[in-house]
Amino acid sequence: MLPARQYTCGRPISEAVSDPLNKNTSAGDEPRIKLPEAEPRGYFEGESMTRRKVFTVASQAIGGVAGAAVVLPVVGFALAPLFSRGQERWEAIGSTDDFNAETYRPVVFTEITGIGEAGKTTAYVRRGSAEHDEDPNEFIAISTRCAHLGCPVRFVQAAANFICPCHGGVYDFLGKRIGGPPVRPLDRFQTRERNGQVELGPRYSVTNQLKAVRVRDPGEFTGGIWEYLYPPRPSTFPPPK
Amino acid sequence: MKLLPTKKSKQDEPEAEAAPKPSRGERLGRARELATHHGTESSIDVAGWVDSRTNATGIFTAMMSRHVPKGTNWFYTLGSATMFIFAMQAITGVFLSMYYTPSATQAYASITHMTNEVFMGEFVRGLHKWGASLMIILIFLHMARTFFFGAYKYPRELNWVIGVVLLILTTVMGLTGYLLPFDQRSFWATIVANNITASGPVVGPYLADFLRAGPDFSATTLSRFYALHMMVVPGLIGALIGAHLFLVVKLGTTAPPWIRAGRPKGARPVETVEAGLPGDDLAEVSVNGAGATAAATDGAEPTAEAPLEEAPADDAPADDSPADGAPADEATAEAAPEGGDADGEGADGEEVSS
Repeated sequence: MLPARQYTCGRPISEAVSDPLNKNTSAGDEPRIKLPEAEPRGYFEGESMTRRKVFTVASQAIGGVAGAAVVLPVVGFALAPLFSRGQERWEAIGSTDDFNAETYRPVVFTEITGIGEAGKTTAYVRRGSAEHDEDPNEFIAISTRCAHLGCPVRFVQAAANFICPCHGGVYDFLGKRIGGPPVRPLDRFQTRERNGQVELGPRYSVTNQLKAVRVRDPGEFTGGIWEYLYPPRPSTFPPPK
Repeated sequence: MKLLPTKKSKQDEPEAEAAPKPSRGERLGRARELATHHGTESSIDVAGWVDSRTNATGIFTAMMSRHVPKGTNWFYTLGSATMFIFAMQAITGVFLSMYYTPSATQAYASITHMTNEVFMGEFVRGLHKWGASLMIILIFLHMARTFFFGAYKYPRELNWVIGVVLLILTTVMGLTGYLLPFDQRSFWATIVANNITASGPVVGPYLADFLRAGPDFSATTLSRFYALHMMVVPGLIGALIGAHLFLVVKLGTTAPPWIRAGRPKGARPVETVEAGLPGDDLAEVSVNGAGATAAATDGAEPTAEAPLEEAPADDAPADDSPADGAPADEATAEAAPEGGDADGEGADGEEVSS
């Protein structure tokens, strides 16, 4: 059976249990019998902290330091790829004579090394056309990675459009979105000419005005305020001028 | 006061010649029995040895012999079913890892090898594959049961929160496991899932970088998904299932909403505490249906003394002499009010009643 004094209806127990030394003292009076005030248990004079408390805090602090010494390097180890940029990679895809300004030519090249076939990707490459205010000596390489969720798009010759099979994204000849869910134009690859060969380099993204920006993942808007909402990542290459 | 009856009966022992004095062996046997009963010495089998040191039986009894509310039905097994599937996934997963190679160039080949050539490989992998879907289904059914029965309410909110974290972790298991066969479907599904992750503003791009281990899907992505799938997430799930179960055992389960709330059979009467009692009347506060004063006026000793009284009585071999007169009656009268409450099954109580 529980002791009755636990049921004091919210009043502090000190009030409910009368002081046995001063039974006949009425409330408010100075108590007739006073005991010396008890020292707080475990404290010596002038101490602000008991030894028990010191050791509790110290042992937990040491444990925390030891834990952090293990956890922090491991977390850094796991997060390292966010801050490291790989080697810039260029791959020759064919002679400059293979490409014209009127239509695209698909080329398959290795974008990521070390994962076999999965690292290969397709780009549609053509020569710059004066019709679209481009330098005829430049090459345009459009990535097939849809700007919606990354499915591979296909250039449909008859419509001169890029069409995504997954969710119906449609892009025009320049890679600008003209239909479906994509949020920005198709990505591009940097191009250059070396010894009569066209070479493809790092990927970059473009705004709706085809201004080059750092590469974004599919589904991320580019340009304007979106540059802050989808910040460029340190693991990506700077865009071409 | 308590020791008196046994002392008296000891003195009475020579008079009761009819009762044969137990031999030394008998007394030792009885002592060992009592010691076993009190847990200080267990029987010599291995199970008893372990049990006396771990209280495994006690814990098992506390977990399995809980009171459950009226109306408990088959819907209450969905959580256990989910846990069984998790155990199945853990076991089959560990054995699948014996044949799997987490390398972008060899993963698919190792999967086709284990599926087509290893004995029972198709079955074990099938269990793992279909079990994954089944686990998600069971989690949602379990969650629906909790929701529609109102079992997420006080005091079980924390268990709901833990359950939601478990649901998220299970979907992470689904995401990371889906990539591992490394065929076209799993590759592109992972690409899409990563890009969905990346499309969250501000943190999305970095989170996707973390998942992929870089700006693009690379050789490290597969190892990373494998490590998450094999070690990190299952460990978290196991720990959280432990917390989930602990809270279930601690808080109990709820009755279905169509069962009227009532006092369970054998429960104590509801406590009544009246407000505004003056300090002097504390003794009259009704506790558990009985006046607190009753305990004081009955003349019963404080319960704290009960073990003191019990221990010497057990040790005394003369205690089992039924021929005692008045002293034995005294013992009965004093033992009854205490023994009836909590420790009625003690050896002492049985003997006195006989």
